[in-house]
Amino acid sequence: MRLFAPTLTGLSFIMELHHFFTAQRVLIVAGKGGVGKSAVAGALASLSARSGLRTLLVHLDAPSAVIPAHELLEEITVSPGRALTDYLSSKGMGLLSRQLSRSGIVELVATTAPGLDDLLVLGRIKAFERELRADVIIVDGPAAGHALDLMRAPLQLKRAIGSGPISSQADEVLAMLSDAHRCKVMMVTTPAMTPVSETAEAADDIVESVHVNLTPVVVNKCEALVPAIDVTHLSADMREAYQYARDKQSAQEDALAVLTDSLELPQLHLSRHRLNSAELIEAISGELSTAIAGLS
Amino acid sequence: MTQLRAITEQSQVIVTCGTGGVGKTSVAAALGVVAAQQGRRVVVVTIDPARRLLDAIGLEDNTGNEIQQVPLDSVGELWVTMLDVRETFDSLVRDTSPTVERANEVMQNSFYRSLSRSLSGTRDYMAAERLYNLHNDPRFDLVIVDTPPSRNALDFLESPERLARFLKHPIVRFLVAPSRGGFRIANAAMQPVLKAISGIVGGDALTGAAAFLRAFDGMETEFSRRALAVAATLRSDATHFVIVTAPAADALTEADHFVSELSRLRISLQHVVANRMPPTFGALTAAEEKEQARVTTGDLSTAHSIIAGLCEDAENARTGIDAFLERTQVLFPQLNITYANEMPADIHDMDSIAILASQLAVHPS
Repeated sequence: MRLFAPTLTGLSFIMELHHFFTAQRVLIVAGKGGVGKSAVAGALASLSARSGLRTLLVHLDAPSAVIPAHELLEEITVSPGRALTDYLSSKGMGLLSRQLSRSGIVELVATTAPGLDDLLVLGRIKAFERELRADVIIVDGPAAGHALDLMRAPLQLKRAIGSGPISSQADEVLAMLSDAHRCKVMMVTTPAMTPVSETAEAADDIVESVHVNLTPVVVNKCEALVPAIDVTHLSADMREAYQYARDKQSAQEDALAVLTDSLELPQLHLSRHRLNSAELIEAISGELSTAIAGLS
Repeated sequence: MTQLRAITEQSQVIVTCGTGGVGKTSVAAALGVVAAQQGRRVVVVTIDPARRLLDAIGLEDNTGNEIQQVPLDSVGELWVTMLDVRETFDSLVRDTSPTVERANEVMQNSFYRSLSRSLSGTRDYMAAERLYNLHNDPRFDLVIVDTPPSRNALDFLESPERLARFLKHPIVRFLVAPSRGGFRIANAAMQPVLKAISGIVGGDALTGAAAFLRAFDGMETEFSRRALAVAATLRSDATHFVIVTAPAADALTEADHFVSELSRLRISLQHVVANRMPPTFGALTAAEEKEQARVTTGDLSTAHSIIAGLCEDAENARTGIDAFLERTQVLFPQLNITYANEMPADIHDMDSIAILASQLAVHPS
């Protein structure tokens, strides 16, 4: 609370946060491995709960970061591996599903309709949204590059399947994904060339194919500015180290320039922290709240 | 302890695994450079690569399964290729089909067409199939497989067995049975199961699948044989697994996951590459640099505090990697490690891959 408390004062500030979080009911946080996507999703959920909104944080993988507990914050894990059996149980076919998994037929179904698990995961999220399980649902997307597969799955299944309950499930999920009042996607990247170009490509792809709406893009782990200094009195080792820090900074600036050119979205910059996970979530929450308030 | 150079010199297959953002594909390419310098004819097959890296190694996008040679000043040869799921599946169908007509029938089936698009399950099967082809290609004596940057990257190791099991499944055998008109006249035991499946995925999908499997009939023996041959190669001494990681906490969590997966699959892990290690400068510790920053003034103080940050990164990285190594050596006592430094900018050309290769080829300290 220490880092966070001074920034969360003033009614207008809280209204800015409410406005940001309630502009849609589901916020899917996506980004490739190593960009700190889970920490950003955790910080968002923490921020949303502390600004007074009932918040559900959905993990698609076992949660890796510890989020500070809050009475308005609930965490849940929806595992793609279990989505099909969960779906069958919810349809009153629990017994059948157990028989099916024992005989290996779940594999047959999954092979008959690849991407089914992904669709069912999105289906669960859609159900949370429809039953108003929370004011704000934040989805910590799947690890690594799977987020694109996840969001394209309903479309591909629809093409492959044509009719039936799965096909209508796909339609309902697609309707949610493309409705800006119901769902938005937040891309997270780091200020390096490869993540930046992959983020821009992925963003274009899901906007074009699934018609999702994007929030501002988060640029995480930005290095602090390295001031220009006179190096003539430094030792050779120190000069080399200083030059390395400067080179890293110019690589970061190049990457940010490419991001600005290739993705027409506002950017929320977060600094790189040398902190453990609980302190990290605190620090990112504080920075995010300032960045979000600065958006309007 | 096996050095990385010994692995590039002796293996027939090297599989690199690791999460996104650790430079796994760059390491795979750099290992290819090391092996080519040792005189080997290497092909690096990368599944789902970043476009920027394709540029670095001179691979154009959308070239399918085409294998391209990287111009290199070395005794051996370095070739690179991507995995095109559709193309791999098509050529597998053509290879295993008794007649051209039958191959065309399979390839025109609507179910096959949706299956052979790049969906994750199919990608795993085809990665294994591609490995089978490249491993048996006389042009190459080493195949380096760069696995996709996802948590389930090692699924492809089990996919051959899964496929063979699937094709032998009674339901599948029933669906392909040539004399029957359709699955509706299934025997009493099958009926409820088929009804359940069709209730989940819809009748059209099952009809399509049945038509596909019938067209596929007769090919599955060869299909399974290849799948099992790949599985055997991957578990033999000819194959080495290398985990690529970076010192970031999230990368190490993912590396732990790969370690336990390999252990579960009873595959031995011999080597870890700790990539993107922050370089060290000078002889002082982070604490000492901070102290220097405190007692000096002006630009000198600023420089010390910048360097203190770099030292802290290097120290944290070393601590994280050491702890990972200690955990992993409990499961794999023979495990060895090679360190590669972080470069100020991303890997973006063959020159930076060559620098990485020279770091990987050193004798471990």
